[in-house]
Amino acid sequence: MADAVRPAPGAAEGFDVVVVGAGPAGSAAALTAARGGLRVCLLVRGPYPGAKNMYGGVVYPRVLDGLIPQWWEQMPIQRWITRRATMLATPSQALTIDYRTEAWGRPPYNGATALRSELDGWLAQHAVAAGATLVTSTTVTGLLRDVSGRITGVRTDRPDGELRAALVIACDGVNSFLAKEAGLYADFSADNITLGAKEVLALPREQVEARFGLSGRDGLDIEMVGVTGRIPGGGFLYTNLDSVAVGVVVSVRALAEARMRPEELIAGVKAHPAIAPYLRGAVLREYSAHTIPEGGYDTMPGLSTDGMLVAGDAAAMCLAAGIWLEGVNFALGAGAAAGETAVEAVAAGDTTARGLAGYRRRLDAGFVLPDHRKLRRAPHLVLSDRVQNAYPQLACDLVEEMFTVTNPEPKKGAVRLLRAGIKRRGLRWRELARDGISGLRTYG
Amino acid sequence: MVSVRTGVLLKRVDLRPVTDPLSGEVRGDPHGGMSAADRCALELALRTGGEVTAVSAGTDAARDVLREALAAGAHRAIWVELDPDASSAAVAAAVAPLLADCAFVWAGDYSLDRGSGSVPAFVAAELDVAQALGLSAVETEAAGVGPLPVRRRLDGGRQELLEVAAPAVLSVEAGLVPPRRPGLGAVLAAQQAPIEHRIAAAGPIPRGKSAAYRPRARVLAGPDVRQSARERLVQMSGALTVHDPPRVVHGEAAEAADELFAFLRSRGYLS
Amino acid sequence: MIAVVPVRSGTLPLGGAEAVAEAGGRAVLVGSGVAEAAAQLAGIATAVQGWETAGFQPAAWSAALTGVLHDHDVVLLPASPDGRDLAPRLAASLGRALYAPAMQVQTDRVTVIRGGGLRTEVHHPTAAYVATLQPGVRGVEVAATPGPELDLLDLDVPDTPADPRGTGLLDADPATVDLADARRIVAAGAGLGGEQWVELTERVALALGASYGATRVVTDAGWAPLRRQIGTTGVVVSPELYIALGISGAVQHVSGIGQPDTVVAVNTDASCPMMTMADLALVTDAPALLRELADRLGLSAPVPADAAAVEAPRG
Ligand SMILES: Cc1cc2nc3c(=O)[nH]c(=O)nc-3n(C[C@H](O)[C@H](O)[C@H](O)COP(=O)(O)OP(=O)(O)OC[C@H]3O[C@@H](n4cnc5c(N)ncnc54)[C@H](O)[C@@H]3O)c2cc1C
Ligand SMILES: Cc1cc2nc3c(=O)[nH]c(=O)nc-3n(C[C@H](O)[C@H](O)[C@H](O)COP(=O)(O)OP(=O)(O)OC[C@H]3O[C@@H](n4cnc5c(N)ncnc54)[C@H](O)[C@@H]3O)c2cc1C
Ligand SMILES: Nc1ncnc2c1ncn2[C@@H]1O[C@H](COP(=O)(O)O)[C@@H](O)[C@H]1O
Repeated sequence: MADAVRPAPGAAEGFDVVVVGAGPAGSAAALTAARGGLRVCLLVRGPYPGAKNMYGGVVYPRVLDGLIPQWWEQMPIQRWITRRATMLATPSQALTIDYRTEAWGRPPYNGATALRSELDGWLAQHAVAAGATLVTSTTVTGLLRDVSGRITGVRTDRPDGELRAALVIACDGVNSFLAKEAGLYADFSADNITLGAKEVLALPREQVEARFGLSGRDGLDIEMVGVTGRIPGGGFLYTNLDSVAVGVVVSVRALAEARMRPEELIAGVKAHPAIAPYLRGAVLREYSAHTIPEGGYDTMPGLSTDGMLVAGDAAAMCLAAGIWLEGVNFALGAGAAAGETAVEAVAAGDTTARGLAGYRRRLDAGFVLPDHRKLRRAPHLVLSDRVQNAYPQLACDLVEEMFTVTNPEPKKGAVRLLRAGIKRRGLRWRELARDGISGLRTYG
Repeated sequence: MVSVRTGVLLKRVDLRPVTDPLSGEVRGDPHGGMSAADRCALELALRTGGEVTAVSAGTDAARDVLREALAAGAHRAIWVELDPDASSAAVAAAVAPLLADCAFVWAGDYSLDRGSGSVPAFVAAELDVAQALGLSAVETEAAGVGPLPVRRRLDGGRQELLEVAAPAVLSVEAGLVPPRRPGLGAVLAAQQAPIEHRIAAAGPIPRGKSAAYRPRARVLAGPDVRQSARERLVQMSGALTVHDPPRVVHGEAAEAADELFAFLRSRGYLS
Repeated sequence: MIAVVPVRSGTLPLGGAEAVAEAGGRAVLVGSGVAEAAAQLAGIATAVQGWETAGFQPAAWSAALTGVLHDHDVVLLPASPDGRDLAPRLAASLGRALYAPAMQVQTDRVTVIRGGGLRTEVHHPTAAYVATLQPGVRGVEVAATPGPELDLLDLDVPDTPADPRGTGLLDADPATVDLADARRIVAAGAGLGGEQWVELTERVALALGASYGATRVVTDAGWAPLRRQIGTTGVVVSPELYIALGISGAVQHVSGIGQPDTVVAVNTDASCPMMTMADLALVTDAPALLRELADRLGLSAPVPADAAAVEAPRG
């Protein structure tokens, strides 16, 4: 009688690196580490990478240039974003700045809409092709440490489920249980948690193209401010191949205080007079909601400790505030940096915090930390009452009055209209100036 | 002791298929797996013992479910490369020869995508052995000592008690026994374990035109033929039938409960 | 076309009469109590053969019936448990293709159900075949005419292929009765908001002599097993009394509830489709009503305390 497969002695011990989580950060880390010759185990909770990540999004994959050459030829995308619109809205008005460029529709492209289940699967495949061992349906439940407190591996929910390795890379997403258990979050506050909720509405491909003025694989992304009522946040709409995603990104706390459900906010966005005509007859295909670290630089945890690195949402590297929703690019960038650092540290035989110092250096030299540092004040600004309500109202009123023909009254000048509007909204020039400056500092 | 051979049939299926409501086109989620019923079949195969051979026919994605079977403790895994649209009879013809000397062959009651429940019966026919299908309970403790006592679900909520002697093919409902959770070491080892590969010819493939499900018009009782044409017309159109008008009642739970009981009583459902 | 209907103690299987009607009235009844079963086919069957034989023996019966069925281009069975198990074996012994389970069967055109009811496939067979018909999809006309003539067959049971030995029969109770047969159904919808309320629905249903069913949202959430799902992708039922708790009345659900004489709907939304088709529409909180019903029906076991405290996980 043949033997059933038995764990080879020590088989569970033969890894240099354990990567926890196969989202963009985890797969990028596993890919880079495996390419560098390390024995990598990539653990993921769901039955396949991307299983829990049903939502799609707009991703900015240029960071892949260094990982997967010509990535655009094989990455599973829905549409390339060639039209990006920013909409300032009040309940009955909308002012949209609509930008369109051919440049974003050809290599190396800029942003794309993609389904996360496809994107995550594709990235994980690359990690496996590079030699990483992918283990699915396995949840990490704790960290293993040696007597000195150094992290030496992870415990999983499987029988005989301990896995030792020289280095653990925690890519377990928002609210990272591993980073917390490792003591890397000094204080973790619910204030910094944002909720993203989204509906995918099915619409025939021709309709998507006709309604949004698109052709081929071109796509549109609309970011909206002023569509979430009294709750600070933003709305978005983007086009997939044969569906449209509509959603909101709002503060969890404000939502709870207002006793509202995210679906109600989405319903509000869908009913907005500037959006409703786009969606007529579209059929709800799926609904999803997920928390996002609102992030910003100021909420990031420590990024490394003896035997462990943290990357992606686990390290609050997502930028989510109102019209912003960028996390995949940061996760990829940080994951790759973690993978490179792993290769360096394992080769040097030092995976203590000191041996892992190259991680922060890489993040500083790249875009991850500089961008976050630069945008650290963006959430506050975008979520302030003025940006949320007063400015959209002001801008809409101004444009409305400018373009309303009031004959036989003579036309009023723009400056006069602006001044009147500011007064009517109870705003002060000083605040306006301050926001202007902080906007410049943030985005300039 | 002579070792017993046990077989188990595992099909890789789309676990969350999405069907276009207009065309009926299936936009599969590419990530499939074993159905809960097949998982249950695997567990029973492992419990009833001997050397367990897991067989799956289909595209190379079948290897995923076979790896799971190996991790759970199956001794051999055989992937039979076969057109995924092959008929149930063709699937059975392809897998049966690999299970010829098995005491028991276990399978799920229905596959999620085809759902005819016929593959296990065709396998039994190929092997010319007994079949006991759609089982809702199996006394695994009795395995190995004479015929296996099982329970089979009939219609009308009835169940049949059977004793199944080897050799036989058995198909089981999901959730009959909790499947085991393979250890991490076994999962890692299964990634390296060999999966045997056979190639089978599919024979004629039944290709039909796919559409989203639409219920068929149902036959209703016709009007009484002894009546006059006018009476029959009135009866069919329901124009003059007296109905109690529907009632809408707003109220708290207690009030609603009063209403409900009174209503059920008036219709003779409660005494 | 001819229907083959396995019979147990004079009872037709689920969908047996429909299969005979679909086959144009020609049938072979096999099993115990075929005469009694034939009488239930009054107005449906025209030419009935019967083979009185004990138990349910798919292997032996298929071997024995080959001769009787050879000349019929289409052999149709109900997709009941017995029919489903006998059909492939018959197909194998006749050397024919099997189409199962079908929604509609004509000599040169079969519509089979796939993906558990998500879609259908139309086939145009070019050779003789065997099919099974999904119970409940067709419906039958019943007429108060005398039963058909029964032509008794005398076949030998070949003893070579082994069939399992039957050792007993467990009768149905409302808790396990196949939903398709239930005369009273209390169905649980997403509006109940949690598994504990579905459990309570089951107990209240039992106390009312009813079976409980559920919508797909409820079975998808794992609050009730899949076989409790009513609708196009679940069971097609035909109760006399249908009580819907927290159900919106989506077409995929409602198309599976048949034509109940009496519909009661409980919902907080007075204008949802389920309420508009109800004889009695109760605009109230379904969990609260359930608790009240449980109290009054004297169901003593603990009842979940606060409905508002439990919120269904979403997303
Ligand atoms: C609604 C919504 C819309 C968004 N839209 C966009 C967008 O348009 N563009 C954009 O760039 N970003 C967007 N984001 C943010 C983006 O999704 C994240 O920043 C990004 O996914 C972070 O990647 P990650 O690899 O760090 O974490 P994740 O993608 O969250 O991956 C974490 C992985 O770890 C696994 N895991 C967690 N815990 C364990 C454990 N204990 N054991 C094993 N495995 C575990 C999880 O299953 C998961 O696979 C959006 C987020 C939300 C919620
Ligand atoms: C191809 C396909 C096949 C399908 N097949 C099936 C099928 O076979 N069976 C099936 O059921 N569905 C099926 N569906 C799904 C179907 O479309 C509906 O989504 C589903 O039936 C809705 O279930 P529900 O009524 O429980 O939930 P919902 O539609 O969410 O309705 C919940 C209801 O509860 C009410 N409610 C909320 N709170 C309370 C309260 N406190 N008290 C009382 N009432 C409350 C709400 O007003 C609402 O009317 C199918 C869908 C597709 C696309
Ligand atoms: N291609 C296949 N490979 C292996 N087993 C199968 C295959 N198709 C069906 N089965 C088995 O037969 C059972 C019933 O499937 P079906 O007859 O397709 O409803 C499944 O649960 C499996 O156990």
